[in-house]
Amino acid sequence: MRRFFLLILMLAMSRAGSGRAATNDFFASGITAIHNGNFLDAVGGFQKSVRQQPATGALVNLGLAEWQRGHAGAAILAWEQARWIDPFDERAAQNLKFARMAAQADEPQLKWFEAASVWLPPNAWLWIAGASWWLTVGALMLPGIFRWKKSGWLSALAALGFAVFLFSLTANVGVVSRTNIGFVLKKNAPLLLTPTRTGEIISTLNAGEPVRRQRTRGDYCFISSANGSGWIESKAFGLVAAR
Amino acid sequence: MKNLQHSTFTLERRSFGARTVERRAFNIECSRLKIFFLILLFATFRAPAQLPPQLPPGGLIQLQVAQPPVDNSPLPATATAVFDPPAGRAGEKTFYRVTVTATEPSVQWPKKIAAPAELKFGNGARGQMMQLLGNRYRPVTAFTYEVRPTAAGRFTISNFVVNVAGQPVKIPAANLEILPVNSPPSPAARELEVEASATNVFLGQPVRVRVLLPASPGNGIEALREVQINGGGVMTDKTSVRQAVETVNDGGQRKPAFVYEATVTPIAAGPLQLTAQAFTAGREFGGPVSITAPVVIRSGPPRYDLLVSEPLELKVRPLPTESELPGFTGAMGVFIADKPQLATNRIHVGEPVRLRVAFHGVGILSRFVPPAAPRSRDWQIIADPPPATGFTLIPLTDDVQTTPAIPFCAFNPAAGEFVDLTIPALPVTVIGNSLPTQLPAFDEAENQSASLKLSGLAPSPGKMVASLQPLQLRGGFIALQLVPAFGFLVLWQWDRRRRFLAAHPEIVRRRQARRSLRKEKVKLQKAMAAGDGKGFVQHAAEAMKIACAPHFPAHPRALVCGEVLAQLEDPRGAAGETVRKVFAAADSQFAGTPQTPADLLALHSDVMVVLNQLEGKL
Repeated sequence: MRRFFLLILMLAMSRAGSGRAATNDFFASGITAIHNGNFLDAVGGFQKSVRQQPATGALVNLGLAEWQRGHAGAAILAWEQARWIDPFDERAAQNLKFARMAAQADEPQLKWFEAASVWLPPNAWLWIAGASWWLTVGALMLPGIFRWKKSGWLSALAALGFAVFLFSLTANVGVVSRTNIGFVLKKNAPLLLTPTRTGEIISTLNAGEPVRRQRTRGDYCFISSANGSGWIESKAFGLVAAR
Repeated sequence: MKNLQHSTFTLERRSFGARTVERRAFNIECSRLKIFFLILLFATFRAPAQLPPQLPPGGLIQLQVAQPPVDNSPLPATATAVFDPPAGRAGEKTFYRVTVTATEPSVQWPKKIAAPAELKFGNGARGQMMQLLGNRYRPVTAFTYEVRPTAAGRFTISNFVVNVAGQPVKIPAANLEILPVNSPPSPAARELEVEASATNVFLGQPVRVRVLLPASPGNGIEALREVQINGGGVMTDKTSVRQAVETVNDGGQRKPAFVYEATVTPIAAGPLQLTAQAFTAGREFGGPVSITAPVVIRSGPPRYDLLVSEPLELKVRPLPTESELPGFTGAMGVFIADKPQLATNRIHVGEPVRLRVAFHGVGILSRFVPPAAPRSRDWQIIADPPPATGFTLIPLTDDVQTTPAIPFCAFNPAAGEFVDLTIPALPVTVIGNSLPTQLPAFDEAENQSASLKLSGLAPSPGKMVASLQPLQLRGGFIALQLVPAFGFLVLWQWDRRRRFLAAHPEIVRRRQARRSLRKEKVKLQKAMAAGDGKGFVQHAAEAMKIACAPHFPAHPRALVCGEVLAQLEDPRGAAGETVRKVFAAADSQFAGTPQTPADLLALHSDVMVVLNQLEGKL
């Protein structure tokens, strides 16, 4: 039995190692291509690296390559995704500030609970919620089970855990809500009245403009943006938390 | 609104200074004019030779000669009616010709003509031409009927009146002399002949149709005017007309003929009948005519007779649409496409690039329809106006790496199949419009500060995650939360059990007794196997005490034989006797004459029965 577990552990480690090695290979090829000025190949390399395993560095470099190709929308999306993984990434923050100034694109308007969720990586909020919940449950149940003496610090710990849990709950709602935020990829992407190819164009959206997905119908998504609401082709924008 | 026109009054009273300025301006204008004319003079030496505009033959004449006007004077229309030929044999074909000097729409021609029953009327034709009389054109409308007399005799179509432009016009009577069948042959009626390059054709396949007017006896040739090829379901292309006088095969005899050749395209499937009609025009040849046969062109005024032909049947088959390839535009024939040539293979987004494609054909090329521009998401494709076959391509994105393939095919009538002529995709590099990488920045005092710029490249992949999809939207984390929940559940169950056992200590004692009894039984078996009688009775007594202790409750060592006997169902039976013997033997070890081991080991089966009985009560 012990050998079986060891075998599974070794297999899992080797699989994770091979995936990381492939990611590094694609990343290195992207770096080489961008140094040679071949931005198309660089984008391909970084995209493969991100597809293999999303990483902040690969996304930052992907955004730089897309920016050099003139794809402001794709660049902003890549840097937003880097910030999604790590809100403290300085390169992504600096590039986003620059890109929004150069491309005249707005920042997404976040609700209060979404703004709170930006403080930490999305998964961290869930771990905090889980830990604080079980801490609260443990602080309430374990003294009774183990017949510990009732003490003030245990009650305080339970109260603190529950408070953290409540706050992290709102942040988690914000994280889920932010998964519907996307950015327009194509320049002058048409905002349509109906989800059809021949639909009437309400307005056009700039590359890099933030939009919020409401619902999906076929190849079109109903989105709301600063320029109004309407249908947009799914390929014309990208979600930050893409699958 | 303010009037912007200058008054001439102010010009007349100009000041001296103004006159001086104007004179200087005039001198400057003159010098500029001199330079301009000099440039013009020298420019003529650099100017390339200009070709004169290419006009079709006859076009210059049309430009130079004033066209005579059409005679629309209210003169009364006149009419003639004859049989051509006026005499013949029974059963031979003749034509009843009526000519009215009026336009065709103005003549209200009767649907049926009253004629003797022996004259069988066949197909009729009508046409109009403009006859040049003096310095005016006069319209002439002709009606021609094919007539076959069935009997000999003299027949007359009497005069009748038709309405021409609201005025009655009398059509004179016409006589026909018909001889018996066995009489000598008379000259045949003049009529046109129609030939086609192919009579079994596909829908849309162009066919060359020749209208022939054989020469009269003595090789006299006449021109044809207002030639029409009639028949439903065909389209005549008059831009490819060719006229000639050449030797043709007429019923096995070679003789000169006037030939009018045009391209006809069937536009309906099924059997089609073509007929031709034309006016004879003597020596009035309209357009270029190549004469390659020895003929005589007679002088004198022309005679405008409307001639018709026997019908020619075309069998038109529909195209095999089941094998049709994409990009069919109706091109029919044998075509070969050259390799497409792109002006450049490195372009920017939005920059047009020319794609040249040349098609070569065999046979009739007038029906070649160039490929249509397909719709593409990534390219704007503009086709050159036909008959050019090139395209202008404009990339809309830099994601493309090839030009779009342009589907095209043609139908080869000879092989009866579609031929793929798709213009293949060509590799191309599209460069996107670059964006700025540095921006000037200003502080609050509007002074230029450190410029904003993009960051450098990240040297390593950095912080990684398994997926951009957050754990909140994945089921795995919820499953993970079951682990601490299960741990707490186990703890809770353990606490409940512990509390229960605390409330019921006999359960613990019985469990402990059963555990100790199992151990003593093992020791008992070992003593038995070793033949140790002393040890056997010691362990047997101990086991019995352990099995009985929870019932009192008491420590096993505190029990004696009587208390063990009290737990038996029948203390005076065999089991009780065995207990007594065991306890007696155990106690006798402390006596002076202990029992022999053989006697004690013989109690083994009885001891086991007692122990099983006691264990059953635990």
